[in-house]
Amino acid sequence: MRDVTDNEVGGFGITEAEDLLFVTDFVLVKQKVTCVTISFEDESVADFFENQVEAGRQPEQFARLWLHTHPGDSPEPSGTDESTFARVFGSCDWAIMFIVAQNGSTFARLRFNTGPGGEVKIPVCVDYSYEFDAADFEIWKQQYKANVIEDHTFSLTGRSKSMSGKQEDETDIFGGNAFEETSVFASQDLLGEIDSMEPVEREIFMEELAIRSDFWDEESEVIYE
Amino acid sequence: MRILFINNLGAGFADYVSIEEGTTIEKFFKNKMQGEQTADYLIRVNRQPVPREYVLKGGDRITITPVKIEGAAYCPKQQTA
Repeated sequence: MRDVTDNEVGGFGITEAEDLLFVTDFVLVKQKVTCVTISFEDESVADFFENQVEAGRQPEQFARLWLHTHPGDSPEPSGTDESTFARVFGSCDWAIMFIVAQNGSTFARLRFNTGPGGEVKIPVCVDYSYEFDAADFEIWKQQYKANVIEDHTFSLTGRSKSMSGKQEDETDIFGGNAFEETSVFASQDLLGEIDSMEPVEREIFMEELAIRSDFWDEESEVIYE
Repeated sequence: MRILFINNLGAGFADYVSIEEGTTIEKFFKNKMQGEQTADYLIRVNRQPVPREYVLKGGDRITITPVKIEGAAYCPKQQTA
């Protein structure tokens, strides 16, 4: 999924009951993304929980591994990432924030809230000792199109690789370089602007981006105060 | 009566629980999600949002899930070849 787009993309990791750190699947929820932000749709998160329970899983198997990408080369969590991790997963017995950057570098931190509590960075690897099905790029592409809404205002390229309008094939969509330079802000313009900001200004800018999502229809989503 | 309760607090929970007749969703939340704020969660019954005074019925499925799961990244300046 990381290679479909220059935007962030995220979801939840699915594990087996007997090994809660062994991720066997990745599930997208509906989300709105830019090249520097991601926000999940609340209703879709609820649907995801219910669908997983209907599939016979417990929350510890599907709701403890929050995974998302960073389009740049840094997998280090931002202030928004840390805030979300603390607010959303801070009341769970344990949870993991996992980030994979465009260059393949990863970040994974296990936080546990039982006993004295604590957190620790943990290593990440692909376990090839287990059998797994071949990647089905077409299904991945369909899942991406069905769940991810791209906000191109700040896009690095103005569109996803899969939406480029070029003749698509698996190579173009996953792992290829089917970009077009048609953005409102060219990537260097935007990145240069962010790069030149003072730290406080940059933090405010990033926070504003994080709350830009128009998913939040508070009247319909807040049940009661 | 019994209802199905799904949430991710603590150890997480997805199982049937027994509640008293006449329990409202507001009372249920306060009882099961002590110390938590309703604004931090999407509360649904049978996949639908309900008002706080909704009285739970046997067989209802209550789902309480976190809201505003969001992330952000600072994109370092890309190097051009």
